[in-house]
Amino acid sequence: MRQLLEGSRAVAEAVRLCRPQVIAAYPITPQTHIIEHLAQFVADGELSARLINAESEFGAASVVLGAVAGGTRAFTASASQGLLLMTEVLYNIAGLRLPLVMVCANRAVGAPINIFSDHQDSMSVRDAGWVQLYVESNQEAVDTIIQAYRIAEACELPVMVCMDGFFLTHTFEPVAIPEQAAVDEFLPPFQFARALDPARPMTLGGGSEPDNYLEYRAGHHQAMEQAGEVVAAMDTEFSGQFGRGGYGGLVEPYCLEGAETVMVTLGSTMGAVRDVVDRLRADGMAVGALRLRCFRPFPAQVITQQLASAARIVVLEKAISAGAGGIVAGELRAALYQAGMSAPVDGVIGGLGGRDLTPAVIEAIFRRAAAGNASAACRFADLNADAVPSTQES
Amino acid sequence: MYEEKGNAANNVQHEIRFHGRGGQGAVSAAALLALAAFEDGFEAQAFPRFGSERRGAPLEAYVRISSLPIRAHNQVYSPDAVVIQDSTLLHSEPVLQGLKADGWIILNSEQPPADSAATALRWIVVPATRISEQLLGRPLPNTVLLGALAAATGWVGLKALEQVIASHLSSKGEKVVKANIEALHAGYQAVAPQQEQAS
Repeated sequence: MRQLLEGSRAVAEAVRLCRPQVIAAYPITPQTHIIEHLAQFVADGELSARLINAESEFGAASVVLGAVAGGTRAFTASASQGLLLMTEVLYNIAGLRLPLVMVCANRAVGAPINIFSDHQDSMSVRDAGWVQLYVESNQEAVDTIIQAYRIAEACELPVMVCMDGFFLTHTFEPVAIPEQAAVDEFLPPFQFARALDPARPMTLGGGSEPDNYLEYRAGHHQAMEQAGEVVAAMDTEFSGQFGRGGYGGLVEPYCLEGAETVMVTLGSTMGAVRDVVDRLRADGMAVGALRLRCFRPFPAQVITQQLASAARIVVLEKAISAGAGGIVAGELRAALYQAGMSAPVDGVIGGLGGRDLTPAVIEAIFRRAAAGNASAACRFADLNADAVPSTQES
Repeated sequence: MYEEKGNAANNVQHEIRFHGRGGQGAVSAAALLALAAFEDGFEAQAFPRFGSERRGAPLEAYVRISSLPIRAHNQVYSPDAVVIQDSTLLHSEPVLQGLKADGWIILNSEQPPADSAATALRWIVVPATRISEQLLGRPLPNTVLLGALAAATGWVGLKALEQVIASHLSSKGEKVVKANIEALHAGYQAVAPQQEQAS
């Protein structure tokens, strides 16, 4: 049955249904409500878990690292500089191949300090070796968290579910929360063959030398590449069992048939993009969209297949690698080049620090890209050029 | 994941913007309205204008009510109605910005502003603070204004509002629930005669 729930509450319900035994976190906007709801479930006896308020995000990540290493299912959530404070531990969790699930309530990174949403936080840890899934709606957040534990435990890799702070976490919208029995059937209890056990002493995370470190990294990379198939398979299996969802697995196309200009984007922005595509199609423009649900592993093959007949591509992304440009745009260009494709890619950065990507802004991006003569390496949508600070004397 | 169809013009599509001050419960009011519309069988969405929450600071919250799945997560820029919880905001905040030419204004005030007759905008003025002080013992205009909105626009049913108020406030006890439902009805009744005169 669908209910109208705040996104953070819906996410907490999904986490509860996955029966984590240890939850550790440190509060940071806009993640806070997720942990508050989970704390309430624990206090009310609706969730049998140890909830640990850590002294920092570094501590919180370390607690769940230890919990998973000990063979328990665990959960944490963070955002922005909180996620960055976890960075060292995120690499360790991934390198130790620990199947943890966390939520990143996507938020901008300071300075200037800004509590609002963009993807700079999770994009900054894209190389840590976690699977990263970006969701469009709160229903997808719920369903993806349940899938994420299956993916993590099947691949022995950590999974970060990235949901736009405020745009999703603080929005009330209809969500179906599955029954416990159905989730139990989909997600059996966590069995971890490598769990630390005093009865069988062993070392987890011992040192590595130049003669084998490279092999560990190569093995991790291969495991990540193989995880793509599991991400796609879990989405299919979930939608078969629960009778909804089917979020495209790795990528979700919208109106790609006959589309000459295709927008590639991530997260909740896709909702407005769909509305704009409908409107432009009604005006006779051959436009479509492709949502990257899975950013790590980067599904280059599926993306290039989906974009095979696109004449022009425009990437709209909410993070930037200062001095290089759009992160997704760069990776997409590399994938196209590798596949021998030469469609121009207009790289657009927008929505930083919570700037609303309105339908009007999205439509303008589409129209400029469709005009076909303005493909830019990196430009900014909805930029007030007069307000850009300059270091040069005028 | 969604039904792949456009938003037809003859379908129900309402966007409502709430203006209040931190502590007056604009966010709760928006959530209650969305819950009631959802109860009535519509798709609904509610969210605050994203910002740091401070008591007394101006804030906004948004509601979308639709007969189709709501896909966009944008803020509301061209509302069909605004609900103004505090009349001092009329002079300090752009509360009417983007409001449709025939849009509704549900204003908590003892009297309409002097220039309210000059446009096609539909002003509904309710002394919600006074009514709530009488019925709830505290200046909490939310439920009165929701009743007024329901009476003026007909976008949401009184029964559905009663249900969601009862369930939302159940932890505060039967007395609080009863008083708020009275406040809801008082808001509705305050507007119904204005509506009859107008029609």
